Amino acid sequence: MTKDKFKAALKSFGLPRLIIAGFLLLLLIMAPFVGADLPTQISNIINRFSWNGILVLAMVPMVHSGCGLNFGLPLGIISGLLGATLSIEFGFTGPLSFLAAVVIATPFALILGALYGWLLNKIKGGEMMIATYVGFSSVSLMCMMWLILPYHSPNMVWGLSGKGLRTTISLEGYYIGALAKIGQINIGAISIPTGTLLFFALLAFAIWAFLHTKTGTAMTAVGSNPAFARAAGINVDKIRMLSVIMSTWLAAIGILVYEQGFGFIQLYMAPFYMALPAVSAILIGGASVNKATIMNVIVGTILFQGIVTMTPTVMNNMIHMDMSEVIRIIASMGMILFALTRKTEAAK
Amino acid sequence: MNKNTNKKASPNLFNLVQRFSVPLMFILICAVCIPLSGLSANMLINEIVTRMGRNAFLILSLLIPIMAGMGLNFGMTLGAMAAEIALIFVSDWQIVGIPGMVLAAFISIPISVLLGIFCGKILNEAKGREMITSYIMSFFINGIYQLVVLYLMGSVIPIKHGSIKLPRGYGIRNTVSLLSMRQKLDNLLAIQVAGVKIPVLTFIIIALLCLFIVWFSKTKLGQDMRAVGQDMEVARDAGINVERTRIISIVMSTVLAGFGMIIYLQNMGNIATYSAHSQIGMFCIAALLVGGASVDRASIGNVFLGVILFHTMFIVAPKAGAAITGDSMIGEYFRVFVSYAVITLALVMYETNKRRAKSAAGQQLQAAQDAEEAAGKEKA
Amino acid sequence: MKNKRQLLFRVGAILIILAICAVMFVIGRGHTVYFDNKETSYNGQTIEPFYKVTVTVGNQKPSKLSKGDRGMADIMGQKLTMTLEITDKEGDQPHAHKVSMSVPYNMDGIMINIPALMQGLPQDAYMSEFIIETPDTGSTDEEIVTDEFDMGGDM
Repeated sequence: MTKDKFKAALKSFGLPRLIIAGFLLLLLIMAPFVGADLPTQISNIINRFSWNGILVLAMVPMVHSGCGLNFGLPLGIISGLLGATLSIEFGFTGPLSFLAAVVIATPFALILGALYGWLLNKIKGGEMMIATYVGFSSVSLMCMMWLILPYHSPNMVWGLSGKGLRTTISLEGYYIGALAKIGQINIGAISIPTGTLLFFALLAFAIWAFLHTKTGTAMTAVGSNPAFARAAGINVDKIRMLSVIMSTWLAAIGILVYEQGFGFIQLYMAPFYMALPAVSAILIGGASVNKATIMNVIVGTILFQGIVTMTPTVMNNMIHMDMSEVIRIIASMGMILFALTRKTEAAK
Repeated sequence: MNKNTNKKASPNLFNLVQRFSVPLMFILICAVCIPLSGLSANMLINEIVTRMGRNAFLILSLLIPIMAGMGLNFGMTLGAMAAEIALIFVSDWQIVGIPGMVLAAFISIPISVLLGIFCGKILNEAKGREMITSYIMSFFINGIYQLVVLYLMGSVIPIKHGSIKLPRGYGIRNTVSLLSMRQKLDNLLAIQVAGVKIPVLTFIIIALLCLFIVWFSKTKLGQDMRAVGQDMEVARDAGINVERTRIISIVMSTVLAGFGMIIYLQNMGNIATYSAHSQIGMFCIAALLVGGASVDRASIGNVFLGVILFHTMFIVAPKAGAAITGDSMIGEYFRVFVSYAVITLALVMYETNKRRAKSAAGQQLQAAQDAEEAAGKEKA
Repeated sequence: MKNKRQLLFRVGAILIILAICAVMFVIGRGHTVYFDNKETSYNGQTIEPFYKVTVTVGNQKPSKLSKGDRGMADIMGQKLTMTLEITDKEGDQPHAHKVSMSVPYNMDGIMINIPALMQGLPQDAYMSEFIIETPDTGSTDEEIVTDEFDMGGDM
């Protein structure tokens, strides 16, 4: 009897998730023995969590409205990049440039999100594949645009030709650490980016609160049972559109927060595969194709970033082979594969 | 039945243009870009013939899963990886020339079959979202591939030659030379026609595959696949083992993709160990769609038209881009963008058509019911 | 009955494939053959090189070897057939020889000393394995570029 229960619990938790959590636990236990510096590791995990949290949070609205995992995240990232580059182009400096970037990115995110939402409403049932390719198309279109658009700021364009944006742009003098430095706490080797964490908490709380409003519950209803939602008089298309716009905007803000932590803007092909780590992170955190909570976001991001930071050091110290890249690919893709094969969620 | 006759009765121009919108668009792009690129006709034709020999086999491998209603098989990358592993072994054993290719083909079969069965089983668990799943599958297996090639080869799997192995003692170098096989297949029986080199043997092999596909679609298994592609439930009721049929279609596609990759790589003359397979799926699928195929319908004609149009664009775009803007990168980004845009467009068209067909079927059902009800009332 | 026949058929097919593979292993084995026209010694006996030797293997470009030169050719399979045009001393008429021999399977690079070969000495006198030094690219390790599947280095 207990065995059956255990089996059922295992099934709902999912084997890949169990393996990944176990793997991380093993890494944590191994770390002190192989001479890895634990405080630095923990500090790294917290920092990376603060960079990436909002990108993962961007998955939540679309999952709730039944649009599936947002493989089209790069579209939102592009809006964020437009905000970032335009903010610098217009001459904003220091932490103010972060605010400017957020303000400028917002209209792009809203417009692109609305278009994207309109498209996804036309192709209900095939969202994830098309989202992937919408992301790819937009990134490759923007590759041309970064070259063509008339940017002039000498800090961003190629020095020689004087036109076309560079592949990486340093944020030194702009919004590097704009959030992280607010109330930063340093205890020994551990540094905690309080501002970024608070900003994430604020957005996460906002999403949580939104999901408990009337529109928010309608969104969940649309996701779990569109026919029922329609019968209840909910405008399904409108709600779905709203969720897509929210996801896109969150992605735009998410990439800006990422950049302020990372210190660079990465253009051209960089946003290409950014959706995949975010997707796998939320899935590792316990989400599924049509169910995701804020808790999934937090747990998933910590687990994913834990693996990303811990594997290279522990592996290197243990067997002198840096297999972290490969392990990350196998773990995250395995997780996505697992989520895609859950039958109960395949029902439309 | 009713719907079919309706369709045949009104083959209006609009529908026709819509169906062939992608090839038409490409003909336009090519017509604009070819003069701008400044390439001579001879050079262009030479390039297209080369690329036809290089890619046609790979693209043909996509046809069978489409027949089985599983959409575009992004998992063809799996076959490509199997072929690369086989070729790495064969070059380490120093088996050269055409025997080397034949041996590599045979070695790739078991790897492809295993990967294909795994992929097919997973896709059976993810019915209705085969494409995204096969797409993620290609990433997943790429992780395994990297594990094998980068860490296990040389340490667990014996690799002898230092020209293949990394100096650190395990793992394979970024490029593995296939100089001993380079264009051996293409050059055997090759003929020159007006300055254009035609790799006759490669084309014969491609033609044989075409014949095989035509023959296969008429066999019992081929018919079963079509039935499964049409409607899984109906096929199941008719006593077809749906799951097995679907797995077979993926296995066949993977094995054929492996053969295709060997042909592709012998033409290139080296293996880019960690990147050769990554773009293959995308470009092959884009080429097939450019040829006028859709997610649920593709023919051999689509393959050849697609190769010609897509690769013409591919050859001329960077040159034309450089001529217009003075920057060759723009052209390169342009062709990548066009590839992705074509796939996006085809996917959107497929999904909207599917929805339209669904709602039309629903309406028909409703109308039939209404009529029945009315008839029932009249009787009463 | 039917199952048995099917099984038999499958085993047969696999055997045929394995046989083809085995044949490919033999006929497709590539070797690089190096020809030396150099002084060598065998059992204390010194063998002088020829004035000039032209070695032709298949339709590959003939290598013309003066005293002390080395040439090379790629061959496929276990049999080496070559045509030698030998000029013994300056001013002599060259005389042609057709030489055929089987080569050891396990050697990638095979060194053949032509003067020793023409003396009719045993195989170990004229044939030796040539081991290519691994081309060292200078750096201790090569940067592995995993390209497109790379997930952007980070999130």
